[in-house]
Amino acid sequence: MVQYNFKRIAVVPMAKDFIDVILSKTQRKTPTVVHKQYKIGRIRAFYMRKVKFTQSNFNEKLTSILSDFPKLEEIHPFYSDLMNVLYDRDHYKLALGQINTARHLIDNVAKDYVRLLKYGDSLYRCKQLKRAALGRMATIMKKQAQSLSYLEEVRQHLGRLPSIDPNTRTILITGFPNVGKSSFINKITRADVEVQPYAFTTKSLYVGHTDHKYLRWQFIDTPGILDHPLEERNTIEMQAITALAHLRAAVLYMMDPSEQCGYTLEAQQALFENIKPLFANKPLIVVANKADIWRDDLTPEKRAILEVMARDSVDETILEMSNKDDDDSVNRVKVTACDKLLQHRVEQKFQTKKTDSILNRIHVAEPAKRDTLERPPCIPVAALAKRQQKKQKALEGDDGENDEDENEDGMMVDGGRPTRNSTKKKSEREIELEMGDDYILDLNKKYLVKEDEKYDVIPEFINGHNLADYIDPDIMKKLEELEKEEEMRERAGYYGSDAESDDENVKEIHELAEKIRIKKKLMKNEQKLQGTKKSVLPRTTEPKKRERSVSRLKREFEDLGVDMEGTDDAHFARTRGRSGSRKPALKKARMDSEGRVRSSSRTPRDESGVRDPSMKKKLGKLQKKVQNQKFNQFGKSGEGDRHIATKMPKHLFSGKRGTGKTDRR
Amino acid sequence: MAVVRTHFDNNAEVGVFSKLTNAYCLVGIGGSENFYSTFEAELDEVIPVVHASVGGCRILGRLTAGNRHGLIVPNSTTDQELQQLRNSLPDSVKVKRIEERLSALGNVVACNDYVALVHPDLDRETEEILADTLQVEVFRQTVAGNVLVGSYCTLSNQGGLVHPRTSTTDQDELASLLQIPLVAGTVNRGSDVIGAGMVVNDWTAFCGQETTSTEISVIESVFKLNEGQPSAITQQMRASLIESMT
Repeated sequence: MVQYNFKRIAVVPMAKDFIDVILSKTQRKTPTVVHKQYKIGRIRAFYMRKVKFTQSNFNEKLTSILSDFPKLEEIHPFYSDLMNVLYDRDHYKLALGQINTARHLIDNVAKDYVRLLKYGDSLYRCKQLKRAALGRMATIMKKQAQSLSYLEEVRQHLGRLPSIDPNTRTILITGFPNVGKSSFINKITRADVEVQPYAFTTKSLYVGHTDHKYLRWQFIDTPGILDHPLEERNTIEMQAITALAHLRAAVLYMMDPSEQCGYTLEAQQALFENIKPLFANKPLIVVANKADIWRDDLTPEKRAILEVMARDSVDETILEMSNKDDDDSVNRVKVTACDKLLQHRVEQKFQTKKTDSILNRIHVAEPAKRDTLERPPCIPVAALAKRQQKKQKALEGDDGENDEDENEDGMMVDGGRPTRNSTKKKSEREIELEMGDDYILDLNKKYLVKEDEKYDVIPEFINGHNLADYIDPDIMKKLEELEKEEEMRERAGYYGSDAESDDENVKEIHELAEKIRIKKKLMKNEQKLQGTKKSVLPRTTEPKKRERSVSRLKREFEDLGVDMEGTDDAHFARTRGRSGSRKPALKKARMDSEGRVRSSSRTPRDESGVRDPSMKKKLGKLQKKVQNQKFNQFGKSGEGDRHIATKMPKHLFSGKRGTGKTDRR
Repeated sequence: MAVVRTHFDNNAEVGVFSKLTNAYCLVGIGGSENFYSTFEAELDEVIPVVHASVGGCRILGRLTAGNRHGLIVPNSTTDQELQQLRNSLPDSVKVKRIEERLSALGNVVACNDYVALVHPDLDRETEEILADTLQVEVFRQTVAGNVLVGSYCTLSNQGGLVHPRTSTTDQDELASLLQIPLVAGTVNRGSDVIGAGMVVNDWTAFCGQETTSTEISVIESVFKLNEGQPSAITQQMRASLIESMT
């Protein structure tokens, strides 16, 4: 289905703005610097590019205008005629045609000048050719000023047209000015058309929608029409005529027998006869409006006129209606119009065989009895009661202030709808809303088990077995039996207290074993911490006993009776020096100025600069630590290694400087 | 209010996330309680409305088959889920877990309290279990050439809605098998997966948010909800239906 939406047409700029936009775009999007010492080919290319670029921009813009505006031949005849009435078909086509010609002219200008530019022999000449080309294009556009401004007006007006769908269920309301057409549409839809007590308040078509029989109906309010020949009709009237002529719709011909509109009933009848050809093949409903005024004093002449007109109306009756005080009559008119149109459309659809594909969907397959079995529905009593209660409530609501919040069938129901009845149970949604983020779904709440068993924790696994596999329906009975047996045993004294005698002993052993285990663990940890991989001495090799010691000496001597008093400071271990037997050294140690010979005194490299042995030890440890680091193990590079982060830093190798232009260093 | 429009976390396929029968209603566990409470508001104090999952999935409407007599769940159901179902459903409802290759039981079984249509390739053993547990007559059938009978039709004891392309002869055949009036139709603005788009029992129906008022009126009539009668479809509503469908 074609959707008629004219709101998406892009704005058509004024000629001057148009040119400015295009030229400034050329300036922005093409190179701007050229020098006369350039090769002539380069200069030509520079200017040719400008000309071509401008041409293509003009072309693009004009094409978009041409494609945006609806083509009168391609749209629905209703819209095509409406546009003819509103904007004048010739004018519209001319404007679009001129735009099309301008596009061609611009293309030709560009082609010619590009050809000329090929023979331009200097920068100056090329530039002049470009100037001429752009100038001529601008001139062509300037000549389109009128077309462009006209098209812009049309665009603005088109955008504001009501979105009438010519193919849907439509009901057209027509009649003399001021007979109450707009009041009627305001009553049954939300079109909100302006209503004033003077003729031609409605100057264009208005659309409103209403629902009836599960369907959506499009009501179109037309401007009032006067009774004169077609040629003399003005634009406002012609819109109504167009709608009447082209829309496959039901027609509501609105009349005012009270003649308050300022036209006699005879004139209204004359108009009816005049435009009758437009009602051919359309359900027509004649409505006599303002019944509140004329109901009581209708003259026989008027009655006769109405009777004559009734012959053309559906069911040969004229519907009486009063917008003012009788909503029922308004509704009756709406229902009649919709029903008649629906009937008409369905008949037509059957004729065109459109319905064949859906015939199976309006068929109710009734079952043929195949056995004597009864298959009644099973509706719980509670459900029936609830339904009854609701019905009761609805009835009460109708009688009372009608504040029932009962939704109609099929209405969307929000689970969290607040209930007025405070005694009603809270729904889960309400609880959820109340608790907010703290809400946790409680699955156990609705269990159909005893109240105190609902939240019993049942393990899922025991000893690696799925508990569900061991469900025993007789478990309670068995448990009872076991308990009984146990009780009997207890009574029989089966559980005597002789098992407690050797408890002490066992306990001691356990304690000791525990101590040993802890000690073992500690030792193991210690060894791990020290990181030594010493082989552990087997138990069989006992440490050598120290045979000589000062304390033993003292003890043994005391045993022998030697007085060992005052020997606390004595140094029993000192041996006699060998100085007497030692010969003097054969050679004197060589000395240099610093005291020793260099060759013999050079400190190893790992000791140079080291203060003392303790420092050396410390350093050794440090060194070991460093060398043990992971990266070193795998030969990884460290911070001390030479490293080049980026071989070719981008900022030094990219940019406008070509090769050989400048040296970066 | 017999027909309710609702949605599950903004998804209109309510038949996927819920299972409604005359004795219980199962509802998938969703992001919010909105969906659950729609059912709760309609069915509370009439039948139990139960949060459930099957094999950790919330698409329980497509995975389970059941009626007032029983509930059949696929092999993927965990023991805990089975426990939850057994705890929450009345004792009159037999819950049975079956080994079936076609594990989306909701898609391959369409049943009311008396008759079940099943996928032609369903296991023979499963068929027997169905007949025993759900106390139904089982027929192997297709709906409009589709083997997934559960997806393409919805049944109650009072009527049934089938795939929109079911021919009238097929409809008549199915109707006499099921012994209920049948109508071909759509839910959710023209969706043909009826089973996924709505759930129904003998006194209420829930359909997707997208369902149009014409579709709702058809549902109301064929399932005899709100004093509707299937004959309305061929009489009062006929014109509107033709108009809205062409």
